[in-house]
Amino acid sequence: MMAEKKKAGSKKMEAKKETPKQAAPVPKKAPATAAPASGKKEQTRIGVFICHCGTNIAGSMNIEAVQEYAKTIPNVGYVDNYKYMCSMPGQAVINKAIKDNKLTGVVVAACSPRLHEPTFRTATKEGGLNPFRFEMANIREQNSWVHMHDQEGSTEKAKDAIRIAVAKASLLQDLFPKAVPVEHAAMVVGAGVAGMQAALDLAAAGIKTYLIESQPSIGGRMSQLDKTFPTLDCSQCILTPKMVDVGRAANIELMTYSEVDAVEGYIGNFDVTIRKKARGVLSMPEAEAKGMVGGGCNGCGDCEAPCPVIKPNEFEVGMKPRKAIYISHPQVVPLLYTIDFDSCIKCGLCVTACGEKKAIDLEAKDEFVKVKVGTAILATGYDMFPVEKKTEWGYKKFENVISSLEFERLICASGPTSGHIIRPSDGETPKRVAFVLCAGSRDNTGNGKPYCSRFCCMYSLKHAHQIYEKIPGVQSYLFYMDIRSFGKMYEEFYYRIQDEGAKFIRGRVANILEDPATKNLHVYTDDTLLNRPVDMEVDLVVLAAAVQPKEDTDRTRKLFGVSCSMDGWLLEAHPKLNPCGTTTAGVFLAGVCQGPKDIPDTVASAEGAASAASIPIHMGEVELEPYFATCIEEKCAGCGMCVNLCPYSALALVEKEGRQVMEVTEAKCKGCGTCGGFCPGGAIWMNHFATPQIVAQIDAFLLGGEQ
Amino acid sequence: MVRKKGYPEALEKKLRDQRYYREDSNPEFLPKVKAISRTIAHMCFQCGTCTGSCPSAPRSTYRIRQFMRRAVLGLENEALTDPDLWLCTTCYSCTDRCPRDIAPTDVIMAMRNLAFKRDIIPVNFLKTVQAIYSSGHGVPNNDVNRAARERLGLTRDPPTTHMYPEYIKGIQTILNHYNLKANADRIVKEREG
Repeated sequence: MMAEKKKAGSKKMEAKKETPKQAAPVPKKAPATAAPASGKKEQTRIGVFICHCGTNIAGSMNIEAVQEYAKTIPNVGYVDNYKYMCSMPGQAVINKAIKDNKLTGVVVAACSPRLHEPTFRTATKEGGLNPFRFEMANIREQNSWVHMHDQEGSTEKAKDAIRIAVAKASLLQDLFPKAVPVEHAAMVVGAGVAGMQAALDLAAAGIKTYLIESQPSIGGRMSQLDKTFPTLDCSQCILTPKMVDVGRAANIELMTYSEVDAVEGYIGNFDVTIRKKARGVLSMPEAEAKGMVGGGCNGCGDCEAPCPVIKPNEFEVGMKPRKAIYISHPQVVPLLYTIDFDSCIKCGLCVTACGEKKAIDLEAKDEFVKVKVGTAILATGYDMFPVEKKTEWGYKKFENVISSLEFERLICASGPTSGHIIRPSDGETPKRVAFVLCAGSRDNTGNGKPYCSRFCCMYSLKHAHQIYEKIPGVQSYLFYMDIRSFGKMYEEFYYRIQDEGAKFIRGRVANILEDPATKNLHVYTDDTLLNRPVDMEVDLVVLAAAVQPKEDTDRTRKLFGVSCSMDGWLLEAHPKLNPCGTTTAGVFLAGVCQGPKDIPDTVASAEGAASAASIPIHMGEVELEPYFATCIEEKCAGCGMCVNLCPYSALALVEKEGRQVMEVTEAKCKGCGTCGGFCPGGAIWMNHFATPQIVAQIDAFLLGGEQ
Repeated sequence: MVRKKGYPEALEKKLRDQRYYREDSNPEFLPKVKAISRTIAHMCFQCGTCTGSCPSAPRSTYRIRQFMRRAVLGLENEALTDPDLWLCTTCYSCTDRCPRDIAPTDVIMAMRNLAFKRDIIPVNFLKTVQAIYSSGHGVPNNDVNRAARERLGLTRDPPTTHMYPEYIKGIQTILNHYNLKANADRIVKEREG
């Protein structure tokens, strides 16, 4: 086709005018794709508007020359330029020109469409054209900014870009976005403080919310902490009211010990399959549903005592035992025992102890539940970096080197030592404690995390405060590179801890060795401010370990079609202007799964995500970009190759007029073009990115200005 | 700069040392160090892991972090004329642990190369060159070693140039190619007569 066109030469213009009618046999059943100028022989007249963007563009190219050139491009009916095309007067120029010159399409040569495509679509619409009759030529990001010192080259490149855009604009069709209804329900994945806050907000806004948590209890990391900086609130005390609220909220359907198993659909209509892991214990409502009135687990704990299996309690970072049937701490929500079937020996002693309540079912199996939601929030949280990977610090090798999370449990009144901080080697109270900051963070070796984990500085200050509070005569040493106390009242907290006697040594810890006799530790570093190597003997070392995305994050994000950045944190739609959204419409992020955050930032992000996720639900319907594929049924051979290629399961074969043809579920189609590019019969028409439109662009580029 | 007030020499030196930007800051120094060391010396953020790891630091005035700083700031004279430059044992502990994945050891080696171009080198290093030239070994075998080797059931001499002296010639060719031996002889003669 292209070769023909090359030979055709002067025929090209005619051919071009014919193309829309020839190549766009509008599928019968596609209300979004109106026939291009249904039959009337309207002449194509494209308006080209060149933006200076102050000096951003005008400073690097000859606007005058570009404008003169644009006038010579076929189908161009009007050319103008303006200092700021996106400004109100700039848009007025477009508006007026469309009306005065009876334009059929608009090309704006300016910045990236990611920035101002919506602006100029609106301007095109206000001028009386269908907004999809607009095409943008990027002469800033991809031209003036990268060729800042090549006036001639960038001018020529801008000419090319405009010629290509005009070629496409000449063939653009009217498109009409389709609205789909939004299910009046939302899902939150992860019930840490972020997920709980998001769910509470959604529920308060009158939205039915499914809150999915993989652990037996909600609460997440924050429920493991003793106190929170800089206010020194007891973490549990401020969290448990929220946990109770979540358990009570009528609009929240809490699903603990559950995982998202499959996700289908699109914004407004996500069909989510949830795996309810076999818990082996019936809740009271579940028991009632099975006809056992008055039965089900009431959290009495009678089952726990006879259980002969002892396992480390993960909630206590393995420092306290639990049984195979257990609750991980006294404040769990829901108050419901769980059987760890990986270690249960099915002796049945618990069943006997439970007696008449008949809450225990040792033969329980995983169950699958399907729910439909309009939007979803991921709040999957974080894990600690396995800091034993940094062998020089001796974690898991030396008994008295502990991680910060272990410190939290040890200092917590409900923890394994009832709040007494002790040396694991001998149970003695430490008198000299070293805190090693950036343990695995800010590390570019590949064996560590290149980012700042953001809350370790502050909790290490808090840890230092806590030992001063609990151990008379103790001395703390904080080994740091920088103290990052950026939040509200954080710097003041730093001041306070230094005033309490904490010693700050500016040097990253090089290595730690153990005195085998005393089990004391020697911390080696460089006191960089004194320029002197340090060998500090201490009783206990606390490593402020880096954080990393929760183990299962990758699986979950793929189910929802969310991307992640290089370090594994989930990728927001825009780091500054859309930090809660993702590139998948209807899916939002809350809390640390998007990147390390302290509690205030986590709660703020959760509230942001809840607000964003409630908008489509309250609107009741969402407009989908009309870029979906359509099937030209006369050409479709019904081979079905496209059906399997579609990454969004948007295509299916259906029987029509006695034969198989492909049908597109428009709301599911993302317009990726995989099917359209493959279809051997050319039977798939990609709206707004149709083959004739793209071929015209390629031709316009390859043929240059020659006609 | 000549001070008129006549401070004692030691004080004069101390005051001079405390000036932050030194007249010998050379913008070419860092690129040169990076080219020779093939490591990202400019990325040092002065955390101190190198000095903290250094077996030499607690026993000497050698501060590897300080040399990294001098590289970043281009303090060529200060780096190359500091005798501490030669106290690195090249154990590579700092390189092993550097969180920025820099090889400070290689930075030191690059600086030593640059210093040698200006004849700045301790004589004992040159004597090592002479020893390698004549025997193929920086630390040649001796009678104590020979006796120990015999006790362990080994040959009196190891299977190196000690056992095959005919290969010393090859080593000498390499050293001559870089003029190392000639330079070493010249400097030793200048210093010791």
